[in-house]
Parts: sequence; structure tokens; C-alpha cells
Amino acid sequence: MVATEPRSARTLAASPGTNAPSTGPRKRERRALQPHGLPWILPGLVLSIGVLYFCIGYTAVISTWEWDGLSPTPEFVGGRNYAQMFRDPVFWGAIRNTILFFVITFTVQTALGMLFAVLLHSRVKLGVVYKVIIFIPVVLAPAIMAPVFRQFFSADGLFNGILEFFGLGAITQPWLAQSSTALWVLMAITVWQWTGLTFVLYYAAMGQIDNSIIEAARIDGAGNLRVIWSIIWPGVRGTTVALAMLGAIGALKTFDWPWLVTVAGPNHATEFLGTIIYRQTIPNYDVGYGAAVSVVLLVLALVMAIILQIRGRERAR
Amino acid sequence: MFEVRSLPGRIGLQLLVTLLTIPFLLPLVAMVQGSLAGAGFENYVAVLSVGRIWNFFISSIIISAGVIILVYVVTMFTAFGFSKFRIPGKEVYFWLLLACLTLPEVVLLAPLFATSVSTGLYDTYWAVILPLAALQVPFAVLLVRNFINGIPDELFEAARVDGASSWSGFIHLVIPLTRPIAAAVLIFTLIGAWNNYLLPLVFLQDPAKQTITLLPSYFIGQFSHDQTKVLASAVLTALPEVIAYLCLQRLFERGLSAGAIK
Amino acid sequence: MNTARAGRRIRIAAGLGAVALTAGLAGCGAQGGGGSEGTADSGTIDWWGWTPDVNVANTYIEAFNEEYPDITVNYKQVPIEDWEAALRPALQTASGPDVFGVQPGSRVDAFKTFAEDLTPLAEEALGEDWKDKVSQIGIDGLTADDKLVAMSVGAVYAGSLWVNQALFDQAGLEHPTTLDEWVQVCEDFRAAGIGCFVQGASQEGFDQDTLQAIAERVEPGAWTEASKGERPWNDPAIVETFEIWQRLFTDGIMQEGAIGYAQYPDANNDFMSGKYAMIMMGSWYTQYAPEAGMIGAIEAAGVADPEPFPLVPIEFPDVTGEGNPAGYFGDADYGLALSTKSDNKAAARTFITWLTTNEDAQQIVANTLNNIPALKGISADWDSITLPFPDQQLTALQEYTETVSQATAARFLHLNQDEQDAILEAAVSLAEGTATPQEAADRMQETVAALGE
Repeated sequence: MVATEPRSARTLAASPGTNAPSTGPRKRERRALQPHGLPWILPGLVLSIGVLYFCIGYTAVISTWEWDGLSPTPEFVGGRNYAQMFRDPVFWGAIRNTILFFVITFTVQTALGMLFAVLLHSRVKLGVVYKVIIFIPVVLAPAIMAPVFRQFFSADGLFNGILEFFGLGAITQPWLAQSSTALWVLMAITVWQWTGLTFVLYYAAMGQIDNSIIEAARIDGAGNLRVIWSIIWPGVRGTTVALAMLGAIGALKTFDWPWLVTVAGPNHATEFLGTIIYRQTIPNYDVGYGAAVSVVLLVLALVMAIILQIRGRERAR
Repeated sequence: MFEVRSLPGRIGLQLLVTLLTIPFLLPLVAMVQGSLAGAGFENYVAVLSVGRIWNFFISSIIISAGVIILVYVVTMFTAFGFSKFRIPGKEVYFWLLLACLTLPEVVLLAPLFATSVSTGLYDTYWAVILPLAALQVPFAVLLVRNFINGIPDELFEAARVDGASSWSGFIHLVIPLTRPIAAAVLIFTLIGAWNNYLLPLVFLQDPAKQTITLLPSYFIGQFSHDQTKVLASAVLTALPEVIAYLCLQRLFERGLSAGAIK
Repeated sequence: MNTARAGRRIRIAAGLGAVALTAGLAGCGAQGGGGSEGTADSGTIDWWGWTPDVNVANTYIEAFNEEYPDITVNYKQVPIEDWEAALRPALQTASGPDVFGVQPGSRVDAFKTFAEDLTPLAEEALGEDWKDKVSQIGIDGLTADDKLVAMSVGAVYAGSLWVNQALFDQAGLEHPTTLDEWVQVCEDFRAAGIGCFVQGASQEGFDQDTLQAIAERVEPGAWTEASKGERPWNDPAIVETFEIWQRLFTDGIMQEGAIGYAQYPDANNDFMSGKYAMIMMGSWYTQYAPEAGMIGAIEAAGVADPEPFPLVPIEFPDVTGEGNPAGYFGDADYGLALSTKSDNKAAARTFITWLTTNEDAQQIVANTLNNIPALKGISADWDSITLPFPDQQLTALQEYTETVSQATAARFLHLNQDEQDAILEAAVSLAEGTATPQEAADRMQETVAALGE
């Protein structure tokens, strides 16, 4: 992954039968002659790591305290917050929810984002209208949309109305008021909000793919699906990996929607690590416990990032 | 991308996009309808007549602009470095950077507050701009690095044969070639900065420095919640972002068709 | 672990803590002290609160400035969800507020090191016998370790239902006074195509109001005793309370999907727009009875051309039929605390004294109808308030205000957040039918007992 093997759009997009410029050992030799790159990445490291790692260290220290966030005399409790967390079924429920949530939302967003990007790169009229509609949810604050969605999915809300209209009255139900369905509603809301992001990035990435390769493939008789599968999909792999990482981190951090729409309920059905951290840190004054969950969140996110990076690299080879 | 030549096929395509878009549109319609419910346009008048609304707008603009500039500059350097240079332990740095994305904002508040007070940045725009930029950079670097990875090395090598330094490669190749993705970064940074609520709330004390995201709180009390005006504020707050997207969307399409890469 | 090692560990931790804290809180010390007096009748003070609303606060400040024109008060309202997140770091520095709102109950203890003792202020303003002159509920909830952390501005009480009398008249129905009647009334409303009772049951606070109202009918005082830890949560009285709560769901009193609803804005908007005839709300709802408050509220619920309806409080039905009186319970809505780090303490004191003990100020508080004033003997000036349906509303509202302000039982005072979480969990599992009343009560007792360890 990380630039050990810089790949051009051309090589990435190369499909059988096209001439891609060869990359190989020759290049690696030359790279060794390149100047040292540390100064280039220094500003980023200083800004992000400088500012945020202080916070991470601070959080790690607090996670060993029993502390209300105010008292000048926190009590050192070692690993007790961690032990308490690993015993807590709510924590494990949140982990389960997170995994399910990530798998579903990532898959659906990727599929929809790709589809929209491909369709809108085709000759569709009024493309800009569609783009704006798909994109607007990205800019809307969950705090404001939460009541709108509660109404939308309530027992006598618009969603059930639509179901009835299509003769599906039998399956109408109070979607957010049931442990069995609330999580799915939150997934739908998340997909609604973030498909715009997926779409915009795929759209930009697809613009990078050399049209002549697609033309060449078509001349070779490749159909639409074949072009998507063999040229476009591999051509946007970098974006997909990036989105997968973001999606995983986003799923781990999920907080806004479940907290605002269902208060992580009913009965912890929409509990996430983010909601646990918030509840413990702010309303429950258990800042130490909240910090311990944050540290675990951080570790999980790092592990996820590493797995995705490695897998992304393997598949790129 | 999709090539459909027949007329029925093209109509079918159009229909498909439309159908797929409807679920995205419905909540937006509900939102706009909600913002016009009750007192109708009076809701917007009420929002616009909140005493400090122009102050709010200006603060939001200052903060967003600061964050965008900082993120853009830092990201371009960093992403170029990660993509095209030899750096020992590069992956470690990269993961360290990415890990910054994972801390929830709530956890950041106390340490950031402590830092901003001790450095004297509390109640200045910097107290909001710096952490916001720090939070946006990892994502931006991830995007731009992937994008620069897609720029053929041959271009840089050609430049180097001509005797150009890395610096001029950066200025003459990276900056112009990354315009499309820079437009995307710009939009996401704008959204992140413009929509942020908690940081300005906590780090800016001066009422004149408050941001636009505090607007809805004028209509939400402990025992009251004027949904119609909250939605009207949301519409007004989102407008600049949508407009920015519309403008930049043209830019990054132009950037793409400029086609130095093709 | 042996003590020596434990001691060393604690020192290490304290050291680390000191590093983290000094890195941040350099120069301002984590504890009280600091601040300066300033002058009593001039200067600028910052006041932070999650309540009152900005326009109400501005009314207070305007009136205050008529008497003290040289004190500038900047009010910053922080929505309740973000209140704690914003206040806690701010209190640790001199840049934070001079005056801040405090919720009664478990929070007072946490904030006490950041607030000056206001007992001298109360004594100076009201005399040695100040405790007799203000509502007891305001003192109890805002005192910690004999320190008066904040002065109550006013209180809110719950336990009643509020009804849309127009809908009752339209359907030709009487207010329910027993559980059976309640069930019947709901059935009749539904038959008439009108919603009966609406509640945002996803929120603990309002669930607790309904639960406590039921419990008062089961056995007066039982809920308070359980809250104080004087009787277990799986006491028969609580189990019976849970049973009745569950019946609200199974017998069709609660609207469908109640546990997916929030009281604000969802349930409130539905009630205000005339979709439901009854709602569980407290004394703060009085502010929507007058013409102006009501029209604003209906409009806010998204109804064009709002038509006021007769909003009337009624007793919570006698859901056990045992004839126990309807219970009311309340807390100080908020108190004003003086930050130890304030750099203008004298002016801040002037403001706190004025708003909490001055008769004119408290009269303004009373007239907003949001809070029942802290100072005894002050009540809303009904002559100056225009009710849309005085015949149906005036007596009911006057009696209601009079009755609730006598209440001595607390609403949230004795329950910390963890206990409130446990109550919500019980309430939701009962509503979903995943636990029997006994199971829910046992589990709750278990959770609360574990918290006490």
C-alpha cells in the first residue's frame, strides 16, 4: 500500500489487451535515489499527531482513573474500568451492532455510490439535479434531521404510509420502537446520509480512468457490465479501500444518529461504542470509564485500518 | 461510462436514476415542508431576525476559511510526501495519522480545552481552527494520497530529468493535477468546519464569535422545541454548503477534463 | 496487592495526573480560589444556563438593568444535551461563566467546588430566617455538605396529565379517573378517530414522571423511598407500579410506537396539533395555556392558522382504585451558582440576589408560567394573563398551581444518572414485553445494588 508501489491510473485500469507502461524493479532502484520525504509529511504529522496525540495520551491516563471530570482528586484504579467494560453485556452488544452496521452500510453505500457515479458519468439528462439531491444529506446536521426521521418512521409516519400505498399495509410497524427493527432504520439513515460522499469520491476517481482504455475494451466487444467489473471497479480500488477504512472508523465512532434518533434504544438495540462513551462521559460523570472505552475504540480502529490496508495491498498485487 | 445508444435504453437509464434518487429526496422534502409548516415563510423571517445572525455567519466563514487553507496546504505537502517519497517507517506514520480519525469529539474536549487555555488560544478562532484542521487532515491526506498515487511517476521523472527539484514538481505538477480531488477535499473540509457545533460552543466564549450552528438553539428550550424554525435554520445553514458544492462540482469536472493525465 | 505497592501506584498515577493536568490547566489550579470581587453595581458578567430560553432570560436582564443599569449581563444558553460537555471544562478557568445554572440533585455535589457558598447572600437578602421565605424544595436540591451551591429561581412539578378539552367535548367524553375508565376513554377516542394519550417514552425523565405518578397512587411515598434507597426496587409497591405501566401499553392507552418517540418535539407537537387528547406534562406546561403561548406552540408544531384550544391540567387517574391521593413531585428547575473563578463576584452576587429574592423579579418569573417562583407568596398575576377559554381554564390552572407548589416529594433529586438509566431500561423492557414486572423490578434492584458497591 503506502507507496511502495506507486501505481498509475493507467496500470490500475489496465485491462487485458491494452498496453500498460511497465512498472517493475527498475523503478524501485531509482526511488532509492529520491530525496528523503520526511520534511514533506512533517506539517501533517505536527498538526494532527501533535494536537490529537496529546488528547490520546490524556485519554489513556484518564482511563485508569475513577473520575467525574471535575474533582481535583481522581482516584487511580488501574485496569478496573477495562475489566468492568469487558464484563458489560452492553459493550459486547455495541460491538455486535458495530460489525453488522459496518458490513451492511458499507456494502450498500459502495453499491449505490458506484451505481450513481457510473450512471451520472453516462449521458443522463439533468445530472446536476441528481448530484445535488444525493449530496445534500452529507451537509445536513443529524441533530436537525433526527426528529424528521423519527416522524418519518413512526407508527403513523410517511414510511408506513408509503408501504400502505403499495399494498404492503400488512408489514407496517413502529420501526423505531422495536429492538428488532431500530438498528435497520439507523442503517438506512446512515446510507441516506453518506452515499453522497461515496458517490462524489467515486465520481472523481472515475474521471481519472482513461477513456481510451474503455473505448478499446468496447471495441474488443466488452459490454457495460464487463467494463464496470474489469476496468472501472479495479480503477477505483484506491478509493474503495479509503472508503472502507473511513466506513470502519465511522461505524466504530457512530454516535450522532443513534443518540439523537433512538437514544441508543430501545433496550440498547442501537448501542454503539460512541453512544457508550458519550453516556458515560457526559451524563453519567464516569469519565474514566468513558476514556477506557475510547482507548478500546482507538485500538479497534487501528486494527481495522491495518487489516484493510494489508488486504487492500494484497488484492492490488 | 455506461454506454446506451438506443432511445428506450436511455429513457430506461434516466428512469433508473430517478427512481434511485427518490428515497434520497423524500426526507429533504419533509425537511423543507417542515420548515414552511406553521407560520410558513415567517419561520425564515424569524430565523433571519435572530439578533446576531450576521455575526454568526461571519464567524463561520472565518473559521471555515482558516480551516480550509490550513488543511489544503498541509494535506498537499503530506499526501505528496506519502505518495512519492521514500520515508523509513512510512506506514507507521500513516497509521498514526489515520488513528487520529477515531477519537470521538467528546473525549477531545477536556484535553483540548486544557491546551487552549494554557496556550492562551481559548476564546480565539485558533482554538477552533487548529483542532478542526487536525481532525480533517487525516481524511484529506488519505484521499489525496490515493489520488497522487494515480499520477504516473513518469511525469515526475521527466520533470526531474529536466533538472526540476521536488519543490517545482510539487508546484508545477501536484498542485494543478490534484485540482479535482482538492475540490472534494475543500468541500468536505468546508462541511466539517461549517457544521461543527461542539468546538465553537465550548472554545469560544465571546458571543460575537459564535457560529451559525448555534442558530437552532434559539428555538430549542428545555420544555420547548420549535421544529419549524429549527428546520428553517437548517435550510439556511445548509445553503452555503450546497452552493459551494455546486460551484466546485463544475471545477472538479473541469479539472478532470483539462486532462493532463490522459 | 500490598499497601506499599498500591501506595506507590497511586503516587505514580497522581504524578501522571499532575502532568496531564498541569500540561493543561497550567496556572489556574484545579480547585477553587482565584477570581476577584469587582464592584457590586457595575461591570460585565457572563451567565450560562441550559434554561431559561434566551427571550425569557432577556426579559429578566432587561428588568434587572432598570435597577442596575451599569451591570451588563451576557446570557449564553447551551442546549441541555450539550450543557455538561460545555460547562465542565469552562468552569476550570477564569474564562468561564461568572454565574451558571445548576440542576438539583447529584450534579450539585460535582459542582460544589466550583461555586461559592451562597448562604451569606441568602441571609443578607432575606434575613436569618431565609429558609422560611423560600420553597424548601429549592434549598434541598441545591445544597451539598451544608453549602448552598446555588439559589433556586423557581421550581417545576410533575404528576398531572394535561388534556385538550376540545377533543374531549368533541367526542363527548369525560376525563378518566380510574384505569378502566382510561382504557375505555382511549377506546372511544380511537373509535372517533382521535388519538388518546401520547408519550415520548424513549426519554427517561418523562417515563419516570408517569411511573412516579402511578406509584403515588399505589402507595404514597413508596417511589421516593425506593429512590432514596430506603426500600428495594423490587418492593411489591414498585412491582405493582410496573404492572400498571405495562398495562398502559398492552391496554392501548399509550400510542403505538411510544418507545420510539421523544417527548420533545415529537409527543409535544402531536398533542399541540390536536392529534391526541392527553399528555403527561408538568407545571411548565402552564405557559402554553394562555393565548400567546398556545398559538406559538401550535405554530411550532407545524400547524398553519393555529386555533387555540382549552388546555387544562387534570389529576392523574387513580389507576389502582385504592383512593390514594394524586401525588405531585418537583424539583428546583435550576439554581444560579456563583463561580469561584469569577472576576466580578460582587456584580454577580447582585444579579443572583436580585433574580432569586427580589419580589419584582420573582413576580416576572411567576408570570412566565414556566417556573413556580422560589420566593413564597408570589404567584402568577392571572389578571394580566389572557386565557383563550377563561371559563374552562382559569380555576383549574389556579388550583393546579396552588396544589403542586405544596408538593414536597422530589422528582430527580435522589436519583443519579445510573439509576435513571436503570429505570429507563425497566420501562422499555416492560413496554416491549420482554420482561414481567417482577423481572424488571428484580433486575433494577440488582443494577442499583451493584452501583452502590
